[in-house]
Amino acid sequence: MTTTEASRSTYSTDLDLFSDEVLLDPFPHYRHLRDLAPVVYLSKYDLFGLFRYDQVRTALNDWETFSSAQGVALNPIANEAWKDSILCMDPPRHRTIRKVFDDALRPKFVRKVAGDLDVQAHEIVDELLAQGEFDGVTDFAHRLPVNVVMDLVGFPRDENRKKILGWAEGSFNFAGPLGDRQTASLPGAQAQLEYLINNASVDKLLPDSFGRVVYGAAEKGEITQEEAVTMMIGYANAGLDTTINAVAATLWLLAVNPDQWQAVRDDHKLVPSAFLEGIRMESPAQFFSRVTTRDVEIEGITIPEGSRVLHSYGSANRDERHYPDPDRFDAARNPVDTMAFDNGVHTCPGRTLASMEGHALFKALAEKVSSIELVEAPTWIPNSITRGPSTYRVRIS
Amino acid sequence: MHIDIDRGRCEGYGVCVQSAPDLFDLDDEGDPVILRADVDGDLTDAAALAERSCPMQAVQTT
Repeated sequence: MTTTEASRSTYSTDLDLFSDEVLLDPFPHYRHLRDLAPVVYLSKYDLFGLFRYDQVRTALNDWETFSSAQGVALNPIANEAWKDSILCMDPPRHRTIRKVFDDALRPKFVRKVAGDLDVQAHEIVDELLAQGEFDGVTDFAHRLPVNVVMDLVGFPRDENRKKILGWAEGSFNFAGPLGDRQTASLPGAQAQLEYLINNASVDKLLPDSFGRVVYGAAEKGEITQEEAVTMMIGYANAGLDTTINAVAATLWLLAVNPDQWQAVRDDHKLVPSAFLEGIRMESPAQFFSRVTTRDVEIEGITIPEGSRVLHSYGSANRDERHYPDPDRFDAARNPVDTMAFDNGVHTCPGRTLASMEGHALFKALAEKVSSIELVEAPTWIPNSITRGPSTYRVRIS
Repeated sequence: MHIDIDRGRCEGYGVCVQSAPDLFDLDDEGDPVILRADVDGDLTDAAALAERSCPMQAVQTT
């Protein structure tokens, strides 16, 4: 027995992190993993795992050591399929492609194309107020991201739009560990790719859209055609489901924390803080991974070169070492240093857009709605990467 | 405490504005503006939060 093997037992766990049971209520398990060690070894998946805030943050900021170039997904099929995605690149290649992505998501461009988000948000809230009771996910959280993002990306306004959301939900399971959930995602991933190539080709995209910017960059030779298609997949997947999850989770948390909703009502300046707090607690993306480019030692534990290392945004954001009383929804916490949007070179380029959408919706609610009452508790569907309620009923007045 | 922004690193996410609205703003082009470069008292906490929260590590305090 070598000393390495002997020490691994102190930070190794056979917990099945991706079982339905754990994914449906991951937070007690995250706490256990954080308490176990600063780095854990998930023996069922042959993965190292970072679950504490400081370690997640340090790894995300050190792309030279924790590389994305061998993919960030948790299976070889997705890593091969996404190899031209900016998610799966390191600088300097990352920098060139990212510039195209960022140009299309700058606040100024978004404002021009998205129109007045506040007007749309008020229309949604007015309608739901008249209705009284509604589904917090499909009736509230879906509407703005779906309208705004699909127009921004430039997807043709046809019947295919209805399918895009379903593909996006499935696409994150495509990136999870191999198993039934990953296998079930394959037909959707294929259908999405066919749609993007055949039905959302550059000539069919709406004018002045991100999609046109992306294919324009390919035409100019700034990026390759494959990179352009992969970038479209990125917009379609990352721009919808994550924002919807964030909005749906925040509304639910406000409904079950009426004192916090009252605080937001009393001071509308708390809206951005409250939305971030919802994102901190129910991080829409819970995991991705990196591969080490050298042996890394973290507090006496060595991660060998070439190891795949999972990092949990969801756990980092609930780390009591960083956020006091982390399981409490505190509308005034303003956790701007959350790991929910990643950190460093791979920071979510859609953070500004998602925030604009969330702020518009919750500001409109704060102006018009005095009470948000949960009528029927949320149902959750386990997803290997993302987290968000799939349905719940609320009543507003 | 003195606040500086490395403009080569800044990508205009505006996280500093949300961390410390009294100290930072974005102009119409989305470029960062430091409203107060030298701070003391409670504002040093806000400046430190902005430094810690910047996803590009473009905010520096000395």
